[in-house]
Amino acid sequence: MSSSIQKAIELILSADRELLNILSTTARLSLTSSVIALLLGVPLGLLLGGCRFRGRGILLVLNRTLMGMPPVVCGLLFYLLFSGVGPFRHMRLLFTVELMILAQVVLITPIVTGNMETAAAGIAPALRETALGLGLGRGRRLLLLIRECAYPILTAYLLAFARAIAEVGAVAMVGGAIAWKTNVMTTAIMQYTNRGNFSLGIALGLILMLLSLIVNAALSLLQRRLGT
Amino acid sequence: MKKLTAILLILCTLLALAGCGGAPRADSLVVDTCILMEADENMINNYSLLAVNPEAPFVDADGNAVTDVAVNTVGAAALINWLLSEEGEAAAAEYGFAEYGEHLFYLKEDRPISTAEIPAATEETKLIRLSTTTSVNDSGLLGFLLPLFTEKYGYEVDVYSTGTGKAISNAKMGNADLILVHSRSDEEAFVEDGFSYVIEGMDSARLNYMYNYFVLCGPSDDPAGVREAASVLDAFRAIAEGKYRFISRGDASGTHKKELKLWPEELGITAEAESFAPYADWYVSANAGMGACLVMAEEMHAYILTDKATFLTFVANGGVL
Repeated sequence: MSSSIQKAIELILSADRELLNILSTTARLSLTSSVIALLLGVPLGLLLGGCRFRGRGILLVLNRTLMGMPPVVCGLLFYLLFSGVGPFRHMRLLFTVELMILAQVVLITPIVTGNMETAAAGIAPALRETALGLGLGRGRRLLLLIRECAYPILTAYLLAFARAIAEVGAVAMVGGAIAWKTNVMTTAIMQYTNRGNFSLGIALGLILMLLSLIVNAALSLLQRRLGT
Repeated sequence: MKKLTAILLILCTLLALAGCGGAPRADSLVVDTCILMEADENMINNYSLLAVNPEAPFVDADGNAVTDVAVNTVGAAALINWLLSEEGEAAAAEYGFAEYGEHLFYLKEDRPISTAEIPAATEETKLIRLSTTTSVNDSGLLGFLLPLFTEKYGYEVDVYSTGTGKAISNAKMGNADLILVHSRSDEEAFVEDGFSYVIEGMDSARLNYMYNYFVLCGPSDDPAGVREAASVLDAFRAIAEGKYRFISRGDASGTHKKELKLWPEELGITAEAESFAPYADWYVSANAGMGACLVMAEEMHAYILTDKATFLTFVANGGVL
């Protein structure tokens, strides 16, 4: 381990061009996919948790099933769909960061939705009573729910980001781990492991954890402020 | 803010502690695994270039024919013509000599040579998708060759590096413009099925232009006596008869395909898991990359088949690639 830590520090200090490229691709991928998943998942989750409508139960079960979708299956599906012989071949998206983002959005949105549903379902009944007492309409009731859910929204975002930055199965299939283009931290770790370079893999892993720590620490501070 | 600083401070302390206190892992260990047999006529490792045919009988995942698969034929031909040009071939032959004191790849005597003019890249032909085997990538050959090509002609080469089996299936899915692989039977099947074609100025679709050697490696004390074996086939027989541990790639790579051909026929070892179930006590099917398998062989004092370029890189780097 100590040699890996040393290697990680050396790598960061050396500002290796390839490492910087991998880091920026990782940042672009995980930030974009987690934000898109948040934008899709929050309204869906609030709808599922805060409103009662026909078919809600089925949607819930469906969403919970999608939460458990193995990343590699999602990756394989997108690989086949966007392959040179797949139905979406004309978009020419295979082995691009854009398709990696799309695959991750499909993986992560259900997780955001599921979390928001739980949070909204917890406070919706009390909120509804208050809102009815105040004579608020449907739209304003939803706005109130969003305001009350600021804290869980951040929690859901952190989850989404964590999943995006740590995920390897889908991005390896869809991105192909092409150097200077689609290689991200997790696929690079896989590559080094396959080459028997375990300590460099751990070094990259440490850098990844450090990144994750910084993002989480920053958002946790923001969350605390929202909480008080 | 204070809390954040505190967290970071704790982390730094932990890192520092781990850095000083941890037992030093034998990271750059002296590799015990060594080459026990090489340069046997059965051990030649041929690398071929094949351009993907845009008119190939592509089928989708359900087996339906797909006719309009986008293949960058101009780019593929440009890269092939450069690799087979005087400049490209000299660079490949020279690679690694300065660093390892040995040539990692050799040019075939009867190799195809190209004198064709290479067009500069255009917007449409700029991106070339090369699907290839890990050995040419992990040994650093492509990292050395491709920048020479891209700088001169303005192309951009996406390298999809995997085992030969997957590299070929990736091309059959329409995701590559050319392949560089090392498994003759697979290459011939690829051509026969119509997935490759003869590019202008060449005589054949399968452009076998460079080679190196597979080497049989194992623990330096060589319990199976492979060093004394008359041929590589005898060496594999000795390993099987003595039930000495052997690490197989097990991943349909070119190296795996080669290994399957070297076992005594009566053992019946194939790529199917069932075929080597009776030998599970000594035959280890790792399903991993060459580097990871070499680490396993080192740790388990096992025999292993690898290509010489990868092995020399592995040893020079102190047990990693």
